[in-house]
Amino acid sequence: MAMSVRGEMEKLSAEQLKAVKEQTDLEVNLLQDSLNNIRTATTRLELASSALHDLSLRPTGKKTLVPLTASLYVPGTLQDPDQVLVDVGTGYFIEKNMPQAKDYCERKINLLKSNFEQLVEVASKKKSISDEAGLVLQAKLKQMAPTAQ
Amino acid sequence: MGSSSAQRELQRELEAKANDLSKIQKDISKNHQVRKKYTIQLGENELVLKELDLLSEDANVFKLIGPVLVKQDLAEARANVRKRIEYISAELKRLDATLQDMEEKQNSKKEAIFKVQQRIQSLQAGKAKA
Repeated sequence: MAMSVRGEMEKLSAEQLKAVKEQTDLEVNLLQDSLNNIRTATTRLELASSALHDLSLRPTGKKTLVPLTASLYVPGTLQDPDQVLVDVGTGYFIEKNMPQAKDYCERKINLLKSNFEQLVEVASKKKSISDEAGLVLQAKLKQMAPTAQ
Repeated sequence: MGSSSAQRELQRELEAKANDLSKIQKDISKNHQVRKKYTIQLGENELVLKELDLLSEDANVFKLIGPVLVKQDLAEARANVRKRIEYISAELKRLDATLQDMEEKQNSKKEAIFKVQQRIQSLQAGKAKA
């Protein structure tokens, strides 16, 4: 497979190779961005999951301080630690109980992880194509250099 | 004299075509951006729909309207999201069609430019001989 790609590349002109390299580099960068986005999303969900776990450890009626602004807190009591609202996106919120909410986080994290793995595969393939194009291009340029002189 | 005015004519034609081409290319990249936005929205809506479908009928669903959460009927919420997905899919299809159209236009413009360039070159070659 890799050999045939290389063979195809040998047939291209230096100009075309350059275009191929630029195109694949662009795609590699795009994929890298997506991977970063997925990573931040996963961290956020993991944070939410641990916050849920934290909440589930508190008993009903526990005194807390609720932040109204960054520096102003009012006292409150924990009314119902089992019911939480989950933001599922596009403005919709769903009321869930603790196990359901935890399950939601788990599912989302797993979904992101599987997407992440798929993307990593595609990205590494693209990267190897881009590297290959760079190598062939350099070899071509070297070949052309003596004839140009 | 005749050949130089013909050349100027061709040059002008080339410029006009190049302008057209860059306009088309700008449109294409705009199309790409809009499409990206819609694709993201479609994915998000599909995730929401999946969540809504997983819920039992007595679950409480809220919709954020401005700063307030408004309680919504689950069936209504599902219908809303479905409608939105339909709308976005239709929009994506429409964008695809216009994109294809523009790409065809772009290719024919490129060809036309290439032809004009060739004519200029042959004209210059003839001049060099003379």
